[in-house]
Amino acid sequence: MTHENALDQPWRIWASVAVGAILFTGALLGIVIIPVVQGRSAGLDAWSAICRAVGISAGSPAVPQPVNNSPPSPVSQVKWTPDLLQVLARGDPKRGETQALEVCGPCHGNKGTSSDAQFPHMNGQSGAAIYKQLHDFRTGSRVNEQMTPIAQGFDENALADVAAYFAGQPKRNPLPTTLAAPAAQIWKLIELGDPARALPACSACHRDGSGGPIETPVLYEQRYEYIVTQLKNYASGARRNDVYARMRTIAAKLTPEEIEGVARYYASGLR
Amino acid sequence: MSVRNTEKLCLAHFWVAFAAFVIAAILGVYQMWVRSPLGAKVGSPSLYFLSVTAHGTAMAYVLTTFFIMGFGYFVAVSALDRPLPGRVWAWLAYWLALVGVITATVTVLAGRASVLFTFYPPLTGSPFYYIGLVLVVVGSWVWCGIMIAAMTAWKRENPGVPVPLAMFATVANAVLWLWTTVGVAVELLFQVIPSAFGWTQTVDVGFSRTLFSWTLHAIVYFWLIPAYIAFYTMVPRAAGGRLYSDTMGRLTFILFLLYSLPVGMHHLFMDPEHGNGLKFIQMLLTVFVSVPTLLTIFTITASLEIAGRLRGGRGWFGWIAALPWERPMVLAVGLAFVMLGFGGFGGLINMSYGMNAMIHNTSWVTAHFHLIFGGSVVIMYFAIAYQIWPQLTGREHASLRPLRLQLWLWFIGMMVMTLPWHYLGLQGQWRRVANFDYTNPIIASWGPWVVVSLIGGIILLASALLFARNLIVLHRSAAVASIRPLFALAVHPPERVPAALNGFGLWNALVLILMIGAYAYPIAQFFITPSPSAMVHRMD
Repeated sequence: MTHENALDQPWRIWASVAVGAILFTGALLGIVIIPVVQGRSAGLDAWSAICRAVGISAGSPAVPQPVNNSPPSPVSQVKWTPDLLQVLARGDPKRGETQALEVCGPCHGNKGTSSDAQFPHMNGQSGAAIYKQLHDFRTGSRVNEQMTPIAQGFDENALADVAAYFAGQPKRNPLPTTLAAPAAQIWKLIELGDPARALPACSACHRDGSGGPIETPVLYEQRYEYIVTQLKNYASGARRNDVYARMRTIAAKLTPEEIEGVARYYASGLR
Repeated sequence: MSVRNTEKLCLAHFWVAFAAFVIAAILGVYQMWVRSPLGAKVGSPSLYFLSVTAHGTAMAYVLTTFFIMGFGYFVAVSALDRPLPGRVWAWLAYWLALVGVITATVTVLAGRASVLFTFYPPLTGSPFYYIGLVLVVVGSWVWCGIMIAAMTAWKRENPGVPVPLAMFATVANAVLWLWTTVGVAVELLFQVIPSAFGWTQTVDVGFSRTLFSWTLHAIVYFWLIPAYIAFYTMVPRAAGGRLYSDTMGRLTFILFLLYSLPVGMHHLFMDPEHGNGLKFIQMLLTVFVSVPTLLTIFTITASLEIAGRLRGGRGWFGWIAALPWERPMVLAVGLAFVMLGFGGFGGLINMSYGMNAMIHNTSWVTAHFHLIFGGSVVIMYFAIAYQIWPQLTGREHASLRPLRLQLWLWFIGMMVMTLPWHYLGLQGQWRRVANFDYTNPIIASWGPWVVVSLIGGIILLASALLFARNLIVLHRSAAVASIRPLFALAVHPPERVPAALNGFGLWNALVLILMIGAYAYPIAQFFITPSPSAMVHRMD
């Protein structure tokens, strides 16, 4: 053994022993002793306590919860599964174009800019948002005497194609009715919400690229009349295809002035 | 000791680092402003999160990585006193990383990647943000290779001689960084970038958080080690004394390598995807990462005491007054230690499984990492820059007064900003929130404290601008730098050290064992029983 090696050997041995001892102590305390001792007071046997500490069996909740057996009553049949997202990702605007021009164009515009105040603009909306509404019309989750029969004439892939076509159109040509700044309380509602009434900020979900649910539409530069009608329908419960009743809850708390103010803000093209 | 024609290389790195730093400091003030009652109506949450992403990216990835690379090149030529191997590679790495920075920054500023700098899948921004960051990491890997090659070559030329401590520590950091980046690289390459391109529609968030936790704590020590290199190798010399113990220095950097990696799960105490027992193991290992810091406080204080007594200090505390506080490096270490004290005690609360529950996801956490990284570490970046800039430019600071003023402003600003911020965390103020409704009586009392934090932030910005001004002034200074020795000698300079304290073979093997103990099952479980994945949420 060289001198160098003799100098080094104790380091190798003791460093390894120290690291091994620390790991062992951690495992002994964290996986065996603490769970077993604490588990006793929760009525757990030693083996279950150890399995839960490792994470092999579920550790929470500590007490089994009653199972809810009531049948679900979904407000929408759309399930955002990976398969559906693939269908949307494969949506082909070229294929969608023919039907969009033939069926949708007369009301929503060939490029998605609608021809009349009662019809919403489609261009620049996300594919997921358009798909969700078309699918809801098709399944009856949302009812509209014009849209229901139209949507029922499409299959799932055709819905994705049409959605892809409108989503791919350029952003709306903004025709702001006013560029005046909105009233302070409307701005606050849109940007900050109203925590006192448990109202989240509109823009938390409805701004382009915000963090809301995938199906949330972008609202800026949308039709004033359309937004007012939809908010009133949500408030009255006439429209009910919003998951978890998010929009029904919100709209029911808005005053008529706020509904008009919000709609005017979005119609103006301000972001 | 010469810098051997690496001046341009080092300065190029430092200026990218400090340019990012100044821009990020401005963004920081904006963020504190809109969170305060004064700026409640300024900008929008989207703008806030864009700003936070840019601020975090610039401070945590650009300032640090470029500073550390530039400093590493400097140490490799000055401490080893031999030319830098692979200079062409170093420049290639620099340009690669710079292209990465520009790509990532443009993407963030375009509003296409407001996912915050720690990514938070399933939020997914534009792939160019992540690709830009990958380029920065790849550039830093080249740096790691050059650091290891430089030390290996030196050891070949000087058989049996201990590697100078500054270089030993720099290579410890390079080795640490190679281990550290494995987690985030796997996360980005196999989860985040494929989903950003739209190739996958779901992401296993538990798995990606686990991978990021692998990186998340060790990366902080990667940022911190240059400060510790200054503590051990520059501070004793600047104070006019000697390093109390060279062995203690080697042990400290080895302990950082060992215990900063298998501890990241202490960021996941409230996450559901891991068992309590495994979280406990990593908590216990986290306890050990405080050991090298305590060793350092002891060793550096002892070294300063030696300097103080050599300068005529008497009695129990007389040596403190005798220290040359007018020198920026000495002043910086004093201020850094105060911040390290506060930040370190705060950190002990974060790492305790039980106590963490009180402050998890509150402002306490953001305050903590600003104090310990922005405070104790970054103030040492300033001191290092002030110390080595004369060697890089051949010019001397005309006056030390503005340097000291800048360091004091940074210290005062950081304390004024972070202490109320900690308090707000204890009051329950949550983090990652753009606005607060201070008209709500429940949180109305927070408002004034956020304003105090904002004032601290403004002082910090003033200090940041003064820092840039001090360096720019130096570039034009008429005074010629005299070459002085930079690195301290130890009281007992090592003549021969065991191979274990002169290289990293043994320690790499032990890191592997620790990582297997800490992370093997937590990662394997995602393959044994795959958990439900989250839908990718696109932000671009």
